[in-house]
Amino acid sequence: MKQTGTTRRGFLGTTAALGALGLAPAWTTAAFAQAGGTLRLRIDGDNDVLDPGFMTGGTEIEAQKQCLPFLAQYARDGETFTWEPTYFVTRLEQRDATHIDFELTEGLTWSNGYGPVMASDVKFSYERMKDSDWSGYFDALDRVDVTGDRTGTIVLNKPFAPFIMITLCHGPGAVLSEKAMADAGGEFTNSFPAVCGPYTYEATPGQRAVFTANPDWTGPKPAFDRVECNVITEVKAAELAFEAGELDCTEVGADTLARYTKDMSEGTGIAVAGELQYMWMGMNTEHPKLQDIRVRQAIQHAVDVDTILQGAYSGTTAKSHGIICPGLTGQRDSAGYSYDPARARELLAEAGASGLQLTLRTLNNQERMLAAQIIQANLMQIGITVTVLPLDSGPFWEMGQESKGDTWKDLELWLMRFGTTPDPYEATQWFTSDQVGVWNWERWTDEEYDRLYEEGINETDPQKRHDIYVRMQEIMENTGAYVWINHEPEAFVHSTAVGVNAAPSGELNYRRFTGA
Amino acid sequence: MSENRSESETGVPAVDATGLPDHVTEAEIRESAARERREKLRMFLTNWQGLTGLILVTVFFASAIFAPWLAPYDPNALDVPARLSGPTLDHLAGTDQLGRDTLSRILYGGRVALYIAAIGVSVSLVTGLILGMIAGFGPRWLDSLLLLLFDTVRSFPTIVLALATVALTGPSLTVVLAIVIITSIPQYARVARTATLTLRNTDFILAERSLGAGMARTLLHHVMPNVVGPLLILAAMEVPVVVTVEAGLSFLGLGVTPPTASWGTILNEGYLVIRDAPWMVIAGGIPLILTTLGFTFLGEALRDIFDPRMGKGR
Repeated sequence: MKQTGTTRRGFLGTTAALGALGLAPAWTTAAFAQAGGTLRLRIDGDNDVLDPGFMTGGTEIEAQKQCLPFLAQYARDGETFTWEPTYFVTRLEQRDATHIDFELTEGLTWSNGYGPVMASDVKFSYERMKDSDWSGYFDALDRVDVTGDRTGTIVLNKPFAPFIMITLCHGPGAVLSEKAMADAGGEFTNSFPAVCGPYTYEATPGQRAVFTANPDWTGPKPAFDRVECNVITEVKAAELAFEAGELDCTEVGADTLARYTKDMSEGTGIAVAGELQYMWMGMNTEHPKLQDIRVRQAIQHAVDVDTILQGAYSGTTAKSHGIICPGLTGQRDSAGYSYDPARARELLAEAGASGLQLTLRTLNNQERMLAAQIIQANLMQIGITVTVLPLDSGPFWEMGQESKGDTWKDLELWLMRFGTTPDPYEATQWFTSDQVGVWNWERWTDEEYDRLYEEGINETDPQKRHDIYVRMQEIMENTGAYVWINHEPEAFVHSTAVGVNAAPSGELNYRRFTGA
Repeated sequence: MSENRSESETGVPAVDATGLPDHVTEAEIRESAARERREKLRMFLTNWQGLTGLILVTVFFASAIFAPWLAPYDPNALDVPARLSGPTLDHLAGTDQLGRDTLSRILYGGRVALYIAAIGVSVSLVTGLILGMIAGFGPRWLDSLLLLLFDTVRSFPTIVLALATVALTGPSLTVVLAIVIITSIPQYARVARTATLTLRNTDFILAERSLGAGMARTLLHHVMPNVVGPLLILAAMEVPVVVTVEAGLSFLGLGVTPPTASWGTILNEGYLVIRDAPWMVIAGGIPLILTTLGFTFLGEALRDIFDPRMGKGR
């Protein structure tokens, strides 16, 4: 057996040469999708569980949207997100605060000989979700009444305004074939027991998931006969694949978005799905160093958020004024404080705080680390010394939870980002009194906030809801425990031969893509 | 034995009170040693790799030590409007995402590398030397125990050890240093042990022992001087490894904490903007490459000179 030898010098020389080659520009010829052909996309991992009740989410929801019926889908009304009925229903109406009537489209059939799609399938699918991993989305569901083969009524146990937006439009709102599920043993993992949609699904683990045209589908024909979703774990690798013409569309990070925004190559477009993420710097109101609200308010005034947006996010994200994201009811257009280091120093002096040393915990990724360093420099200007402590996701997500140890007692400052659904209720739920020590790491309580939270869920009048959520954010801000930072977009670069369709939270809907 | 016997009586050269054969004078010995030193110096000066290595290592030490005087800017001073500026006369190596001067950060990053290299290598060398000599000279059970310990530590991947430690303690320069020391000790200890095992049955050691010298004296005065040479060469070869480990851990966010500059953090910050600002990765990578090459060339040249058998064997 012939073996190739190597020496230390040889290795160093070879590595240097390869490193130099890696910096060289790539010359590629892109060949993008044509309508009716194959759409090539990226998924970040295998779809392990496609069952709506037990999925992880993300690209599993994308797969469900291609192969299963949904009653409602997201729509955009100007800058605001709303919903509309899908092709699968001829009627979807909120009769009153607790009753939603639906009528399924005639002629919908399940694959594998499981017959027509029935209202009883809707009943089965939604009522089983109450015992699933995604049961939280169905807390408000009492039952589904079947009134005919294709008609029924979704009955809620209490008024829950966002039910259609956050449940029926989202992954948990998928409808399954009751008969197929019975044959499958009640649950399934990585292949659908029966499909009803424009595509069928097949996957090769670690390589790709392929959606091919469903021969039984009688509904609107999608723009592409075949969709190939290649498993590419790293965002950067996917970006390179796009630039090499191997993908028609892929998600991009802030720095790449900035590059494309500045210098868009011919035949390339940018699509922003939504900005349903909210980031802030939190402060522990119970920590001895931060118990004085004037110290917290000083910190609010000391952080230069505009510099963070420019330095850490290349100016690609929207400035935040609260937890309600752009396009949602209740979004604020300004915060109650501003960047004012002089005022910050005054507040610190009033509080008698000098030589303060704080620890800022953050996830160990580049944008957060850059943001943390700007905050560190900002607070240094008012005499607060900050130690930045980068953490991996495991310890980071546990540090404020009382059930996970005692780290919450030491929490002082942290950079946090939550994602949300297209309704303000979801974002506000994490800061109620019963969330102290769970997700309310700032550890404040407010009776008015708790009361408004319940009112917001029940209220259906848009203006009243708006006022409720604006007030809730004012209450949060007045605790001094929040420095609002930004709303990161779910952004995609794509070939202009392809029209992108994505949920506000970033899941792509291949069936609604358009071709050139 | 109070009287020297002649060579004809014993069959071996007669020695005088100094321990030298009576036909070799001390002056001749000194002249021979001086001649050998001159020869080695000549070999070094005619070895282009050795000279290159020496220059690079000197530049590394000088730039790190004099960084506060050489750096044109405060390495942590933010200037976000000037972020990601290309190389100019004002910023010879450009600026990073926060507008910090990359050259200044590289110079200060050299101090971190130097700190880790100097402390890490010297502590692990001394500890490895002591443990290796004890293993080589001590009882068999102790040798087996220490060998098991060395092999256990060596079998543990450095990055995994770093990840586990950082998860418990949080990242810091001290953690990096501890990981470097812990993972480096077995290499020095193994070399020291092997050399000690070779020496322990040599005549001069046996003679010393038979004269009643204790273990500590024997190790300190007779074994260590013969073992430390190869270890110093190994140390020179280990410096680039240690520097790379620090840079690697900092690249992964397991090393220095912000805003401290390290070559690894510069590379990490440059990696994501490599298409827009390639100078960050280039500027962060060049000192790492040059330092690695410098210590490698220097170490190999020293090895060629002081251990010609290994040099010829390669």
